[in-house]
Amino acid sequence: MFSKKDFIKISEYLWEIPKSFRPDMQVPARVYASEKMLEDIFRDESLNQLINTTTLPGIVKYALAMPDIHEGYSFPIGGVAATKYPDGAISPGGVGYDISCSVRLLKSEYTEKEIRPYLDKLATEIQKEVPSGLGRGRQIKLSIEEINRILERGVPYLVEKGYGEKEDIENCEERGRMEEADASCISERAKNRGRDQLGTLGSGNHFCEIQKVETIFDEKTAEVFGLFKDQIVIMVHCGSRGLGHQIATDYIRIMMKAMPKYGIKLPDRELACVPFNSPEGQRYFKAMCAAASYSWSNRHMITHYIREAWKNVLGGKANLKLVYDVAHNIAKVEEHEVDGKKMKLIVHRKGATRAFPPGHPDLPEKYKGVGQPVLLPSSMGTPSYILVGQKEGKEAFYTTAHGSGRRMSRHAAIRRFSGGVVIQNLKQRGIIVKCHSLRGIAEEASGAYKDVEEVVEVIHQAGLSKKVARLTPLAVIKGE
Amino acid sequence: MEKYKILEHKADLKIRAFGKTKQNLFSNALLAMSDSQRAEVSNQKTKREIKVKSPNLSLLLVDFLSEALYLSQVNKEVYKDVEFKKFSDTEIEAELIGNETKSFGEDIKAITYHDLEIYQEGNGIWQATILFDI
Repeated sequence: MFSKKDFIKISEYLWEIPKSFRPDMQVPARVYASEKMLEDIFRDESLNQLINTTTLPGIVKYALAMPDIHEGYSFPIGGVAATKYPDGAISPGGVGYDISCSVRLLKSEYTEKEIRPYLDKLATEIQKEVPSGLGRGRQIKLSIEEINRILERGVPYLVEKGYGEKEDIENCEERGRMEEADASCISERAKNRGRDQLGTLGSGNHFCEIQKVETIFDEKTAEVFGLFKDQIVIMVHCGSRGLGHQIATDYIRIMMKAMPKYGIKLPDRELACVPFNSPEGQRYFKAMCAAASYSWSNRHMITHYIREAWKNVLGGKANLKLVYDVAHNIAKVEEHEVDGKKMKLIVHRKGATRAFPPGHPDLPEKYKGVGQPVLLPSSMGTPSYILVGQKEGKEAFYTTAHGSGRRMSRHAAIRRFSGGVVIQNLKQRGIIVKCHSLRGIAEEASGAYKDVEEVVEVIHQAGLSKKVARLTPLAVIKGE
Repeated sequence: MEKYKILEHKADLKIRAFGKTKQNLFSNALLAMSDSQRAEVSNQKTKREIKVKSPNLSLLLVDFLSEALYLSQVNKEVYKDVEFKKFSDTEIEAELIGNETKSFGEDIKAITYHDLEIYQEGNGIWQATILFDI
């Protein structure tokens, strides 16, 4: 059990567990949190998991935790670790089973007042068009050849085929495909799991939400992102589905077997890792990159179906534009400054969002002046935030939080909340919920999560990303 | 003897399965997983042959469940029972028995190795703790 005395206070919002805390730590562990939030973090296994992360071979500077940290396995959710390129560790556990789980934001030209009369119809239509993939859903089974093309060519391939718009490529992280993606590094099993899941949401905390821009904090940046007060926007949160889950399963097994060969011993089996430049490491990285391309393609197809629904209800001219799409479960090779020297690092972000500052070369041209849009969804029925990357984020490898973070188990949430009552309460606040599972509603009730306002306050004050706008939900949609 | 129970975990699904024998333990762990998928089943029965090899008993349990999960997801089936034809600490040959499904209520992403434990208690009952990513 941890207590405050185990920490060195670096600043009001940054706390450090020194390397001396446990003999196997290679670097210190740092937590972005307010003093009040620390108490909550002590309650689960997340700090032990963060300390386990500091033992990764080749880890640089420190293992980091974002304020929405909570217990997972291997890395905590909200954990960040950068290792030395090219021989530092790459760990599938540092990416998670849902490879490249991401959030995207679509903007409309409409205000809340204009959309209100159509809201229920829109929510119903979107629910019909965007299945969860757990039921009958959309019955399209792609061939393995088609899956391979999507894995290697991603969003640009789908645009070529007539889905979506050219602008969608520019506004997606990595332009919707990872250069290093190699479908030959992925098992037939993983591809099979992906064949009928393109354009599906999945379950759990994945959702599609119709929201309105409630408050603008930074007019100039909001204008660059194309956001205005009372505007209707749509947020989508999901990942690479069964394909990504199977890749993680396959490679954790491969790495556990290979670790003795590289003399790697770790405190948690799920942390399994190998050197990035080893054959196993390279194959995992190329497979993970392909899964990321699949994940962007998944949300690209979801966008296509949402646009269809939008047009069905509002007429042919109505359109939705992509603001941005950014992953929060991914490992990437990036250049960062470490002790005054620029160096390449392998940055693992598990439940943490990249937040590049203004001027970063990897940003779309139109966002270069202000910085990367950060999309931070919250729990069901509570506000989400749009933030922007800051130069002060350098100390955190330009990373910020990814959501509000669970504080209660799903099991406890089911005992505590009734799905029916949650829906009723949301309805009283004018929020429509389209979901077939009352149990799913109870599991995701906002009371089971940390307060998003506290999380956002920490990342804003610590300079990891700056508030641009607050979005409030109007309709929560979880597909059939 | 209860077949399994659900333990507390903040974000995922942690279960403890019990069994009078190792085979019984494996089949109750399978039941825990398939119950957790909360599938809407059809009357159509189904059987799938599986073969799994692993370095030790605990990894064998994860690989056995991973195999069942994979087949469940690609074939849209759920397996509540298993008949073992061969069973050692490192190898299984078996037939999974279940039904076709109309839908799943829960999407189990994977069977993790986190906090994975198998042991036999003083009274001879086998126990396994497994964390599923959901």
